[in-house]
Amino acid sequence: MKAFVIDIAKCNGCHNCQIVCKDEHCGNDWSPYAKTQPDTGQFWCSVEERVRGTVPLTRISYIPHIGAQTEALREYAGEVLLPREDGLIVIDPEKAKGREDIAEKFEGVYWNAELQIPQGCTGCAHLLDNGWTVPRCVDACPTDALRFGDEDDLADEIAQATKLDEDSHVYYLNFPKRFIGGTVVDLEADEVVIGAEVYLKDEAGKVVSLARTDDFGDFIFKQVEPEAYRVEVKAHGFSKRALDADVRALDLNLGTIDLSA
Amino acid sequence: MSFIADKTVYKSMGFCGVGDGANIANIDVKDGKVVRIRPVHYDELYTKEELNYWTIKARGSQFEPGMKSLLPPLSLTYKNRIYSKNRVPYPLKRVDWDPSGERHPETRGESGYERISWDEALDIVADEIKRIHDTYGPASILCQGGGHAETKNATGTHGVQTAMFNTLGTGCVVQARNADSWEGWYWGGKYVWGNDPVGEQVQLTNVLKDIAENSDAVLHWGCDLETTPWGWGGQLSSRTAYWFTEIGIKQIFICPELNYSAAIHADKWIPVLPNTDAALQLAIAYVWMTEGTFDREYLETHTVGYDQLERYVLGEEDGVPKTPKWAEEKCHVPSYTIKALARYWAKHSVSIGHGNGGGYIRSCFSHEPARLEICLLAMQGVGKPGANQFKFLEKSLFYDPTVNPYPRPEVIPSTFACFKGALLDEQMLGKNFVPQTLIPNAIGGEKFDWYGHTMCTFGIADQLKPFQFPNPGNQPIHMVWSTGPCWQTCWNGGFRFQDVIRSEAVECYIVQHQWMENDTNFADLILPVTTKVEEYDLNNDIESGQFNMMYLEEPAIEPFCDARSDYAIVCGVAKSLERFGGIYAGLHDKITEGLTDEELIKRGYEMSGIPLNQMPWEKFKQQKLWISPTVKGWEDEPAGLIGFYEDPEAHPFSTPSGKIEIYSSLIADNFPDDVERGPVPHWVEESPLHHERITSDRAQEYPYLLMSNHPRWRVHAQHDDCIWLREIQTCKVVGPDGYAYEPIWINPADAEEKGLRNGDIAELFNERGRVLGGIIVTERIMPGALYQDHGARVDTIVPGTGGLDRGGANNMICPSATTSKNCAGEVTNSFLVGIKKVDVFELAEQYAEAFGREYDPACGLVASARIEKEEG
Repeated sequence: MKAFVIDIAKCNGCHNCQIVCKDEHCGNDWSPYAKTQPDTGQFWCSVEERVRGTVPLTRISYIPHIGAQTEALREYAGEVLLPREDGLIVIDPEKAKGREDIAEKFEGVYWNAELQIPQGCTGCAHLLDNGWTVPRCVDACPTDALRFGDEDDLADEIAQATKLDEDSHVYYLNFPKRFIGGTVVDLEADEVVIGAEVYLKDEAGKVVSLARTDDFGDFIFKQVEPEAYRVEVKAHGFSKRALDADVRALDLNLGTIDLSA
Repeated sequence: MSFIADKTVYKSMGFCGVGDGANIANIDVKDGKVVRIRPVHYDELYTKEELNYWTIKARGSQFEPGMKSLLPPLSLTYKNRIYSKNRVPYPLKRVDWDPSGERHPETRGESGYERISWDEALDIVADEIKRIHDTYGPASILCQGGGHAETKNATGTHGVQTAMFNTLGTGCVVQARNADSWEGWYWGGKYVWGNDPVGEQVQLTNVLKDIAENSDAVLHWGCDLETTPWGWGGQLSSRTAYWFTEIGIKQIFICPELNYSAAIHADKWIPVLPNTDAALQLAIAYVWMTEGTFDREYLETHTVGYDQLERYVLGEEDGVPKTPKWAEEKCHVPSYTIKALARYWAKHSVSIGHGNGGGYIRSCFSHEPARLEICLLAMQGVGKPGANQFKFLEKSLFYDPTVNPYPRPEVIPSTFACFKGALLDEQMLGKNFVPQTLIPNAIGGEKFDWYGHTMCTFGIADQLKPFQFPNPGNQPIHMVWSTGPCWQTCWNGGFRFQDVIRSEAVECYIVQHQWMENDTNFADLILPVTTKVEEYDLNNDIESGQFNMMYLEEPAIEPFCDARSDYAIVCGVAKSLERFGGIYAGLHDKITEGLTDEELIKRGYEMSGIPLNQMPWEKFKQQKLWISPTVKGWEDEPAGLIGFYEDPEAHPFSTPSGKIEIYSSLIADNFPDDVERGPVPHWVEESPLHHERITSDRAQEYPYLLMSNHPRWRVHAQHDDCIWLREIQTCKVVGPDGYAYEPIWINPADAEEKGLRNGDIAELFNERGRVLGGIIVTERIMPGALYQDHGARVDTIVPGTGGLDRGGANNMICPSATTSKNCAGEVTNSFLVGIKKVDVFELAEQYAEAFGREYDPACGLVASARIEKEEG
């Protein structure tokens, strides 16, 4: 069974995967594997940009999405797939004619109104069957954030991975959760506070994580679950400060925390 | 059927080369069409052993170049560019320009075009040259050939027409390619530490190895390694920054906007108001001076003039100590952060990384932050292990083997023996030349003077030479002939360029280009050029940092419509000129040197420096790709400036003293009255030339500083029509009228104050004109600053000063004045603008004709919008 493993911590957002997918399929007819993709508007592979936090603790996570490669599609419309031993989901453009329902049901599958077919990622099966070892998106990835292979060979990574869709063959490493950060300062002295202890506590008051402010007075908790927390800051010579840190919806920059106030 | 390709060729998919190619790609061709563009896998031809494959090992990890080319999306999407609806299909003449009658200069940019034949087009060019020569003399023809175009060699561009006038012996007025990538370093850095020709640290051998082994942190100062290097060298820089993180090197980004690198690599982002870095730097120096945390001994042995800097910083010169509080007001970095940064830096081994600099070194007085950075580096003993300045691109700049911070190759293969463009040398410039920044002054018939040839390849002594335009006895410019034209959208003050190019004095304006974009739309005659994919050429890839290589570029496809190469066009003009006999007799053969294309390319190959006993021409013609192994023993070569650090007498810089000149005797002796660039770097609030600070009177009306980097989804003016790039979330903002506007980033606090929301269309404005854009309200930009990429295609609604551009080409409203009085650099960044929401439907009513031009939702502007008659 073929699978994709995508490491979010290595995706620089260059969109090569999205571009080469179009380069391969727009204007090129790879029948019987796939028919021509329209010049614009379809994204069999796409990159989502998530801007996180606020100035100056703003960061971006890029999430490449590879559509169609899900067992749910096989279950729903197995009869329109090309038979393959490697488990790639390849919608047969002949058999799938008229099946707009497939495009409606699955993200990453698009309705080609002109050809009257649903279209999506084929894993570049036409290339794999002709000497290529990986699809275009993986070949063009400059940072090795995208990997492709047999699930067995990728087992170690898959064991640590998450999926957006339970039935998908697309696995994510380091999929973004939430961060909570801030800068601890003593405004009276006009200095950052270095080495302050910062506790992250859950709603029950249990310490989930501990950080120390660095040379810039900064602290950050990365990859925390999207829950409501309290952050407590302790530093020698100052009274303790506690702040709400609700990251159920979004990442959180607590900004400047002034211990002298 | 074949699912792969009928044939595959190599092409450089780099976009700036003047003999320095990049981004080697495979182009697969099927049924006469490009089917795909993909990375080249070096292991199809070479083993790692043959390449002396390098690895840098440090801290239990290792870094490798990989065995495939690391192309940027700009290369991979190039099919869009080749088959763009904006390609110029055939020779075009402006309908109301009649070379033997009325010329209507005043309608340039507005009137349409009609098709003419190649014979007619080439004869018109030749007739105009002859007429101008006879009537005004050769110094009335201006030739423009910039660096912003496809990377070609034997097929020209980059001033192939300039080369023709040199061959002819008459010369012309040459547009000197500015040191535009390095302005601050070029006009400032060189006075402090030499490092000719561009003023950044050039001794970079093994600097990455040194950083990996010895640095605690890298300061990315104004550096976007995820954008700037793309068009010139691909994405090894991205892998490098990820590796820094992996081995625990702290990455600190100092820039007004969360650039694309800070967004993913930053351990710390310090937003600084555009072009106020000098204040931040002075405050860092203040902390070190007052806390005694700098290398005083090093300053005594390695530098001159430190005391003058100390006097200034401590306020003994002007009564103003440059404290962190003083700086905070100017640069909006909290003073406690400035102190923290200064102390961190003093305690750790810190190197500074650049992507040349972008806004940091491309604004007014940019020599000041450049010089101050070097002063700070010196105060912490630059050259000691882990403390160098380096950059993420130009790994073989000007074929200098020392500028590569990665393990260097045995051979940097050169293409110059088949290069048909204008070389960046004094002979090509001749007597009559104009800095690229002063082109509107020249076309406008002004008399002016400046210092230096201003070209990036020239050493510091050249900056002391005065020049003038026009030279005595010369007539004004009456003809302009451009290759790779993009002055309006790449340089300093596009609306002013429109004023002068539409003036009566310009009788003839000829453009050679592939696409109907920017300056092209103002030409009287447009000559369609082939893309490199359609041409036969020789190229190298010497900028990736992985390996250096040479390859044969066979044509992938037939020429688009009626297009010809720049070189073929100029050869055609030369042939037509031969009708006039005299000096023009035999011109064609003088240009071609009697060589066929293949003979020319063979000469290029055989003089490239590649060992011909290993790879003779005939074998290369078969294999088509040659890769240089990494030099043996690379790991033992001394890193960066360690030689200077250990023994400055034995490893002097090219400054007069051989040391780092914090006080520059060259400036003191040659420019004693310079208030913008004194002998010691200063904070310059304003000057007679520039009022671009938030404290300036102009800021009442134009309160924001506009930051404008190298574009993420273009290479300067190139790629704006690529339909797959335009679909990317951050590339364009589609307005309510369906037009894809160039994004403007605004901080939520400023957006609220201005009543702007995501997706609104707004105008950036100042007294020079107005530029539209689509609003993105984002935490990627600090309050008080706005961000818009540069290089969007000009879509002129109202031409000339005070005009309106719909495309979002903010160079249209840049200051025209140069870096400072004695420095003819560009100021294309960090200038004041106002912003306000516009109603595009009201504008469409007001400017019905310009807004009504044919438009393609995917590609944007299209060539057919300008073509009135398809048959001549």
